[in-house]
Amino acid sequence: MLKINNLQASVEGKEILKGINLEVKAGEVHAIMGPNGSGKSTLASVLAGREEYEVDGGSVEYQGKDLLELAPEERARAGIFLAFQYPVEIPGVSTTNFLKTAVNQVREARGLKALDAVSFLKEMKEKMKLVDIDQSLLSRALNEGFSGGEKKRNEIFQMAMLEPKLSILDETDSGLDIDALKIVADGVNKLKSPETATIVVTHYQRLLDYIVPDFVHVLYKGKIVKSGDKSLALELEEKGYDWIKEEVATA
Amino acid sequence: MSEVTNIENTLLSNFNTWLEEHFPQNSGLKKLKLEQSERFVNLGIPARKSEAYKYTNIQRILSKNFDFSVANEAPAWTKAECHGQFYDVDANHLVFINGQFVEDYSKISSSSSELIIRLLDDKTFEEHTEVKDLLGKTRNIDQDAFASLNLSYFNQGLYLNVPKNADSRDVYVYHFVDAEAAQAVIFPLILVQSETGSRLKIYEKTFTKGENNILSINLFEAKVLDNAELRYSKLQNQVNNYYTIDGIYASQHKDSRFYTNTFSFKAGAIRNNIYINIEGQNSEAHMNGLYQIAGTTHVDNNTSVDHLVPNCFSNELYKGIVDENARGVFNGKIYVRPDAQKTNAFQSNNNILLTDTATVNTKPQLEIWADDVKCSHGCTTGQLDEEAIFYLRSRGVGKKEAKAMLLNAFAKEALAELKSDLLKEEIENIILNKLS
Repeated sequence: MLKINNLQASVEGKEILKGINLEVKAGEVHAIMGPNGSGKSTLASVLAGREEYEVDGGSVEYQGKDLLELAPEERARAGIFLAFQYPVEIPGVSTTNFLKTAVNQVREARGLKALDAVSFLKEMKEKMKLVDIDQSLLSRALNEGFSGGEKKRNEIFQMAMLEPKLSILDETDSGLDIDALKIVADGVNKLKSPETATIVVTHYQRLLDYIVPDFVHVLYKGKIVKSGDKSLALELEEKGYDWIKEEVATA
Repeated sequence: MSEVTNIENTLLSNFNTWLEEHFPQNSGLKKLKLEQSERFVNLGIPARKSEAYKYTNIQRILSKNFDFSVANEAPAWTKAECHGQFYDVDANHLVFINGQFVEDYSKISSSSSELIIRLLDDKTFEEHTEVKDLLGKTRNIDQDAFASLNLSYFNQGLYLNVPKNADSRDVYVYHFVDAEAAQAVIFPLILVQSETGSRLKIYEKTFTKGENNILSINLFEAKVLDNAELRYSKLQNQVNNYYTIDGIYASQHKDSRFYTNTFSFKAGAIRNNIYINIEGQNSEAHMNGLYQIAGTTHVDNNTSVDHLVPNCFSNELYKGIVDENARGVFNGKIYVRPDAQKTNAFQSNNNILLTDTATVNTKPQLEIWADDVKCSHGCTTGQLDEEAIFYLRSRGVGKKEAKAMLLNAFAKEALAELKSDLLKEEIENIILNKLS
């Protein structure tokens, strides 16, 4: 589904990704871990098409297409979803209204008929249950004054509505207490299928207790320096990142 | 000799002849008009160094675009054309053609117990003392050259009287201007007296035809008596050859409410002069405005609220979206006189610039003599939030739709006091369609 080959990227002239190689197949869950500043969020942003990141080299192939050619909305319509680390507060725009436009533009691109008000509401009610989110929250301005947990649940709710092929969760666990973490992880798990893939970007192992990865990659100084299965995450939890740094230094 | 003196002289060169032709010998209106024309000459068209017109070079706009020695042609709007533009709503639809109220083209649905609608001519002026007491008498109006010019030249104005305790059906005023054969210079006048306890909403809109330049010197003068409510909303969405100077003057008596809403989208230049005098206790004044402009459109909102008595409230909110080479100007004056204790007066002007070449000049001006008051003002100018645009796009929303969503959200607050759903929807569509 996704093939990242020697990807290099920078922001404001500062080199951050220095040659990432990663392949993600349908049905898989990949965790990207690493110390602060290693480039985890940059990787997520580049995949979603954030414009302030400059791609300096390498390629990203998504479902056989050159992903880097596409505008952010085209990527979303093609099935890529980024759950933001810091969801943006947008005063005056309600989740319901914005999502109706978003869902219908995505459906149109996928050759589906637009949902009318009734079927949209029905769809919404179903997906709301997944993350235990209240309708009154959704008729309020998007993320404005939401708690950390409400913002993250809203991200997963939007993900459920947009039915992506490849979901990228950027530090979705940050700022969540254990109950909210469980709800969010539970929502993500229910949305998993053999046709979809998930990339979980996280600093800590605890989210991976709930969203169990097939592969764990450690990103350090803009490169994947180690890959393994879920036991690697447990090892990192126990020993921290220093031993990885030492391994890289002596290599 | 400056070109300005030329404009004033040219403007008034045929004034006496015109006056003789249109008004009888001992006419009271004629006397008023003579006084006003003298006042106009004394005040003069504001010079470039005039503080109140600092960012709107009105002399240049007038001299560059108009030849005041040319007489107006007879306008050609048919009744059917006019009726075709009426909103489909049970209301009073009042027609002005080239600045003159035409009762025959209008559709009036209110009975006189709900709303009295009169042609403002010599007869009305003579027979109704309240008209004599109001016309050209509102505080501060004598400082405005363009108000004097309107009062000198208006002919066949409109007088609305909302009877005591009447809750009137709405009024829609449609201006039709014909500039097909030659330029048009027009002087529409609306005078309103809201009697005690009455309520009225007025909406105003302009239609033009022809490529020649149009200058509209408007005047709206109102007295809102005890416990009455008056709402006046205006849509300014014209063509590039349309120039307008709109005077809105109101005096408020005790327990009254007065609202103005101006929505400015397109014209060569728009200058709104809004002066509200709060003369009775426990009154409320609201001034809201939205301007979304592109091309080289110039919009200047010059507003003033004068708190003369205690225990009143005023709120002013202007929002601007400025694109391409357009310019938005905002000047908000709040006066709180020594007696006006316990005044609450608030003002804000927020702008979004969509290009590097768009300009906004904003200036709050608070003069407070009373010591027990709450006043605040704030101005902001910024760009659209790029992070918010990316967020919406990352959900599959196109770039243009994402921008429109954010702009509608930004503008929404300025539309809050607009009570017509028809107009609100029309304005929301204008906002979306203006985005390239």
